Parts: sequence; C-alpha cells; structure tokens
Amino acid sequence: MFDFTVAGHVVPVFLLVLTGFTVGIVGGFIGVGGGYMVTPALIVFGFPGYMASGTDACHIAGKAVISSIRHRQLGNIDWVIALSMVGGTMLGVELGVRLLNYTKAIGLSGVVLLAASVAVMLGLFIYTQVETQKSHKKMDEDSKAGREIGRDVKVSKIPLFFQSIPIRPFIKAGKARLVISMWVIVIVGVITGVLAGFLGVGGGFIRVPALVYVVGTTSHLAVGTDLVEIVVSGGYGALRQSMSGNVDFMAVFFMIIGAMLGAQFGSLATSFVRGPAIRYILSYSLILATVGAAMRLVYVLTGGTVEWLSFVAVVFTLGEMIFLCLFIISLVWFSIRHQHGKTVPPWVPPLVVKA
Amino acid sequence: MKQKGAIKFVVWAALSVALCVYAVYAHTSGKLDQMYYHSTDSNGFAVNTNEFFTASKEKPALLKIGPADEIRGLMAVPVNKGDRLPRGANGVISKKIVEEGKRAKVEGDKLVVTVPWQIKETKGFKFKDTFIHKGVVTDPWSGVWNVAMTIAIGLCLGFMAEGFTDMLGWKIKKIEHFGH
Repeated sequence: MFDFTVAGHVVPVFLLVLTGFTVGIVGGFIGVGGGYMVTPALIVFGFPGYMASGTDACHIAGKAVISSIRHRQLGNIDWVIALSMVGGTMLGVELGVRLLNYTKAIGLSGVVLLAASVAVMLGLFIYTQVETQKSHKKMDEDSKAGREIGRDVKVSKIPLFFQSIPIRPFIKAGKARLVISMWVIVIVGVITGVLAGFLGVGGGFIRVPALVYVVGTTSHLAVGTDLVEIVVSGGYGALRQSMSGNVDFMAVFFMIIGAMLGAQFGSLATSFVRGPAIRYILSYSLILATVGAAMRLVYVLTGGTVEWLSFVAVVFTLGEMIFLCLFIISLVWFSIRHQHGKTVPPWVPPLVVKA
Repeated sequence: MKQKGAIKFVVWAALSVALCVYAVYAHTSGKLDQMYYHSTDSNGFAVNTNEFFTASKEKPALLKIGPADEIRGLMAVPVNKGDRLPRGANGVISKKIVEEGKRAKVEGDKLVVTVPWQIKETKGFKFKDTFIHKGVVTDPWSGVWNVAMTIAIGLCLGFMAEGFTDMLGWKIKKIEHFGH
C-alpha cells in the first residue's frame, strides 16, 4: 500500500504498476495513450474523478516517450508528418479544452462529452472494422493464389482524395512515401486535437485511423508517428491538469515503471504483424471503449437510476484491457509458431509476418 | 554492439535510478505536497484532511487550533488568504463554513469537524469532495516540474530498455513498410 498524498488516497502499488503494464502493451501496439482505460481504472482504485483524469494525462505523456523510443528504433516514425502535425495538435487540444469548459458552463458537459465519445468511437469502429475485414479478405486471396503479401494492405481510397488536394505548401514524407498538402496534416492535427482536448484523452484512437485513412500512412507508421503526437498532446494536457493540482506524480511514477515493460512488448510486437492486425486490435479497442461509454451515457440519461450499468461499465473497461493484452500476446505467439512451421488458426497467416 | 549496448544500458539505468530516487525523496520529504498546495485562497483553517477521513456527526474529529509550521495529526492552523500553507496541509476549511457550523465549528480551542474529507457517493463515478484541496492555490510551476520529470523518466527508461536489448544482442531490425 502507498499513501498518495496529493490524490489523498491509499492504493496498492502493484495495481498501478499492473495498470501501466497492460495499457503499455496495448498503447505500444496500437499507438494510443489508453486514457479511456486508465481513468476508469484509477477511479475504481479510489482516486477522485478529477485526479484520475489528470494523473492519467501525465502518465500518457511518459508512456508515449518510452514507446516512441522503441518505435524510432523500429523505423515506425515519420518525423516529417509528426512535426508538421504538432502545431495543429496543440491548437486543437487548447480549443477542445475551451469547448469543454464552455459546455460545462452551460451545464452540458456530462451528456455532451459522453455522446460525442460514443458517436466518434462508433463511427471509427464501423469504418475500421469494415475496411480491415476487406483488407484481410484480399490478403487471404493473395495468399491462396501464391502472391506475396505486403507489410500493409489497405483497400480504402479515401487517402487518394486527400493526397490530391492541390493546396500549397506540400510536404514530402519520405518514410511514408507520400506527398500531401501540409494543410491536410495541420487540419487533421487540429480536429483530432479538439476531440482529444474535449474528451480529455491523448487522442490516439482518433489520430491513428486519421493517419491511416486520411493522410494515407501505413498502420505501423501511424502507430509510431501518433505516439510522438501523444507526447505533445499528453504533455500539454498534463501541464494544464498539473497546474490545477489534478496530478499525483507518484501514481504517474508507478504507472510509468509498469508501462516501461509493457510498452517494450507492445512496440516490439508490431514487428511480428502486418498492418491489418494493428487495425483489428484498434477497432476492438474502439468498440469496447464505445460500449463502456454508451453504458455510462445511458446511466447519466436515466438520472443514475440504473445503478448496475455503472458497475458493468467499469467491469467492461477493465475487462477490455485484459482482453486486448491477451489478443496481442496471442498474435505474437501465433506469429512465432507460424515462423517455425507449426499449426496456427487459419485466420492468422495473413495477419502475421513470416520472417 | 553488445559492449556499446552495455554502456548505454548502464548510463541510462544510472540516470533512471537517480531520477527515481529524487522523485521518491520529493514525495517522502513532503516537498511534493508543499509544491502543489502552497498557499490559501480563503481565510480559515489549514488542515490535513487525511487525518480525519472517518469523521462523522456521531464521531466528530477534534482538531487542535494553533499556529504551526507543520501539521501533525489532528491540527488546524489559522490562515489568511494568500498565506503559505503549513507543511502537511492539503485543504483549508474556510471561515464561512466554520461560521455556518454545519460541517465544522469552533468549540474552545478545538475545531470540531463532522464530515469526512471525502464522500464517495454510491451512484456511479461521482465523488464529492468536502475539504481536500479546497481553498488552496496550486503552484503553477508544479505543472512544469511534473511534465519535465515525467518526460525525463520516460526518456531514461526508454533508452535504458533500448540499451538492455542491445546488450543482449537482440537484432531489432527496422520494419520494411513497403516490402514483404
């Protein structure tokens, strides 16, 4: 047990280290901060809501630094895109926070925040799931036909539209092999930043699909590049939260220790899989978070009369952390088995890399 | 490669340990608390809310009133708006609340508190604070310290982990994004 004096609560240290570890795996693999998982977990551990949110924002920044270092080694970061997006992300986060304060001032924050979360995450889930299934099917067909499969396969045509927007200046992203108007990158940064600031999260679960389906990077590059953005958006969010006294640094510290181990595994696991595997995990993470947020929305809209919904939402959120970790671990395990010529489920070969 | 990895690991591990020790020292010495909540924004009594979390109407907490540089146990230190908080304080019971007499009141040289520092509502995620972090002003520099420490620890741990795998001779290749 450890007395977190700033948060004013006593919590077993191993719970925080374990939370950091599990969210580190998921975050390192799909390039998200995991705010929608950590905040409910901290509340369950007894942290007041405002303290859970602030502590989470700070932990996200630290974890993103650790993951970014490993993704840099794996060559998963396109620095041109990352640095072009930073300004837009900062502006967006600030606008999002001001929008949140405005909705709070008019007494709408709970419902608006949850409804916005549900709408955004559901939309992203449906699109990601449909597109990834089509990509998976295409890879399966290529595999059966004896054709070689690339590291990433996408069937979405949306990036081609955005890459054809003729507004100068253009940027040439060498690693991602694309040329695109800088304004597209900036606007993606602003929009995802607004959502991140408004929802009080790092914004990875919005930015990774945006990088894949709007900008047109590969899934691996989207993960690494997004983690650099999370260092900025998470760090900025952490600064604002800290200045309001909403961060218990010791809780952040213990979670970062756990995240160091988890983030290494999650980041390295990306080298075992193809792009659609990352997008599958991202979409499952989105739907699980959506269901959790939807249950809380129903709870708020019913005036808190359906009390079991809140409990189920917490169990669901914590369950998703474990489920996603096990899924990622199993993918790595299947990949190793596949590399050694051992039997794996039929859906696995197109998703993993045979070295 | 392995030798370079070992040097990298040792250097970053040493820096990581130094930062971790400093962070734990900042916590245990009380510097962290004081940095966060260092002045009051209302007249009243500075308290350590953790000391009376079980207070109730049936079993009120009796806090001894008196000036002090550090709050130890059940103490209430009179403060005016803008004063630096005594060490160990994490909330201020405002004069207005004491005058109302519903949650806290003065009886002789004692401050009688009849509510805990935090009420956990049974419905959902709602937490209603009473005195913790109330009536206090946060040092804005604590935000800078927090973010700087978090990123510094992240960098040290990240490079330490990288050095560790290099030291073990793991060949971590760059991913061929457009290859097979």
